[in-house]
Amino acid sequence: MFSRPWALILLVLLVALVFWQRFSTEKSQLSRTALLMGTLVEIQANGDDRELLETAVTDAIAEMSRLEQLFSTHIPQSEINRLSDAGTLQVSIETAELLTLGQQIARSSQGAFDMCLGNLKRLWDIESQAPKTPSEKELREALRGIGPESLQIEGRQVTKQTESLRIDLGGIAKGYAVDRAVEILRAAGVLSAAVNAGGDIRLLGYRQGQPWRIGIQHPRQNGEVIATLMLQDRAVVTSGDYERYFEVEGTRYHHLFDPQTGRPARGCQSVTVVAADAASADALATAAFVLGPQKGLALLEQMPEVEGFLIAADGSRLTTSGLEDFLEWH
Amino acid sequence: MTSSAVDPVQLEQVRQRVFLALFIALAVALHAVEYLLPSPLPWFRFGLSNILTLTALFLYGPRAAWTVTLSRILIGSLLLGTLFSPGFLLSLSGGVLATLLMTSAFSLFRPHIGPVGVSVLGALGHVSGQLLIAWLLIVRHPSIWLMLPFFLLFSLISGIINGVAADMLLEFLLKHPAFARLKKIGREQTQKIDH
Amino acid sequence: MALGSALRRLTLFDRYLVVIFALLVVVSFLFPFSKQPGARVVVDADHRTVYTAPLNENRTFEVSGPLGDTRLTIENGAVRVLSSPCPQKICIGMGEAHQAGDLLACVPNRIVIRVEGQAEGESYDLLSR
Repeated sequence: MFSRPWALILLVLLVALVFWQRFSTEKSQLSRTALLMGTLVEIQANGDDRELLETAVTDAIAEMSRLEQLFSTHIPQSEINRLSDAGTLQVSIETAELLTLGQQIARSSQGAFDMCLGNLKRLWDIESQAPKTPSEKELREALRGIGPESLQIEGRQVTKQTESLRIDLGGIAKGYAVDRAVEILRAAGVLSAAVNAGGDIRLLGYRQGQPWRIGIQHPRQNGEVIATLMLQDRAVVTSGDYERYFEVEGTRYHHLFDPQTGRPARGCQSVTVVAADAASADALATAAFVLGPQKGLALLEQMPEVEGFLIAADGSRLTTSGLEDFLEWH
Repeated sequence: MTSSAVDPVQLEQVRQRVFLALFIALAVALHAVEYLLPSPLPWFRFGLSNILTLTALFLYGPRAAWTVTLSRILIGSLLLGTLFSPGFLLSLSGGVLATLLMTSAFSLFRPHIGPVGVSVLGALGHVSGQLLIAWLLIVRHPSIWLMLPFFLLFSLISGIINGVAADMLLEFLLKHPAFARLKKIGREQTQKIDH
Repeated sequence: MALGSALRRLTLFDRYLVVIFALLVVVSFLFPFSKQPGARVVVDADHRTVYTAPLNENRTFEVSGPLGDTRLTIENGAVRVLSSPCPQKICIGMGEAHQAGDLLACVPNRIVIRVEGQAEGESYDLLSR
């Protein structure tokens, strides 16, 4: 054997490599994207069983699509539109659940979060080709009847208290859809996943044994991250004035309206909320943004199991007391 | 009166096998001792066993050198329980590249090159082989090459030490009658006996 | 003395080789990529990044590998290994890493710890906006 050293070397190397391979387990990482609810939705799932992951993620996306059919104001026959048209309706369980949650947060935030801004949003029409700034009179008209008590919810029967009201779930529907998607993944046995609907994020478990690193978009520097959060099994949602807006004569008009004035709220550049579920995080982020830095911070501190931080209009940063361990500023 | 009419060639072959076995044993012992000593740079050693590889190379030629190196690595790892571990792969790659360079230099450049020169090349090969495998299989990040200067310095020193030690050993051994039929290969023309 | 005679036996070629090698060593010292101060610790388990943390905040954390948990600590701008389930504890003996490009590793537990400078690498898994 020693007269052919090359053969021996190759043999030893081969065996060693085989041993090496045996001791490294490959885990599957699956990533799917879909265009839903007017944004790019991405689901990442990790685990050993690729088939299980595929099925779970497909089901999760299907569920989010189904919910879009219920909640979207852009789909004429959606349940929400039919409710706005009809005045009273027996809605599906999910819609009832969502409206109940939304109402709770509307009350907690003293109306800063409002689900009946349908008319207002149509008036501003931020996303259209020719957005314009409405007049004071038009705004008054669009805000008639809004407020935390504008909807009466009894079980699955929902009634509008003012006839002209139109419901818009823009500030909470994405979060809810993300929550349902995570529930489906969890029920299917997935232990590690992340659902990201255009920045509304909910995490399931850990990422390869470690917390997920969530970068928070810098409100004024595109492509930059202002902070990183280390989280697992939580939801994180950011509301910012940089996403949907138009500018007229140097003034930015964005999509987060103050229900009291009917105009875009001016107190903050962005708000990031960490909560147990994405629907709450979504609604609270909107509410805190509208309330402005001080009141918004107070709202987040007051809610149990909720943390977050706000970037005020002047760029200063306010953080809730429980967030420090998970937060890294850049 | 009978004189032991032993075929001198066969005698030499047996002697060679015995001595190679001895060299391997010594190399394994050195390998083990080195392994157990603390080292400033992780996984990287002086390679004192190379002294025996060098000796085998200069006494018996390239094949003997390969024999000593490969056996030393295999047996040493079995002994220390590191067979097929990452440290083993590093040892193997370092040893193979070192022996390759040493035997090539020996075949190409003798008699102009001596044990120290060969040893220095061997040290270079040893360190390069180890870094290469560490980069490919363990770290995979280019920042490992930042360590190259330190490793090179280290291997230069150990290469010189090993070379001088091997040279001294060779001088000593060649005075002994057991090696009388062989002269040190390199300076003089000698008979080389293959096994 | 045997050493003296050994040195006298060095051939010209030998001496050349040593000199060239020494030059190589010197050159390699002058070349390295710029040594920036480290900004961030990146820990890879089995070639996949599993943990990052800034160097400027003290913290202690664990990373798991096939042999168990390796405990690491970031203190005073440097990262080092506190404890590890490997047999030889070489990783602990490697000491501290604090400059960009510095490496620590626990090879048996498949853990590599890198220190990165400001500009490198993706620092987050998902972006919330």
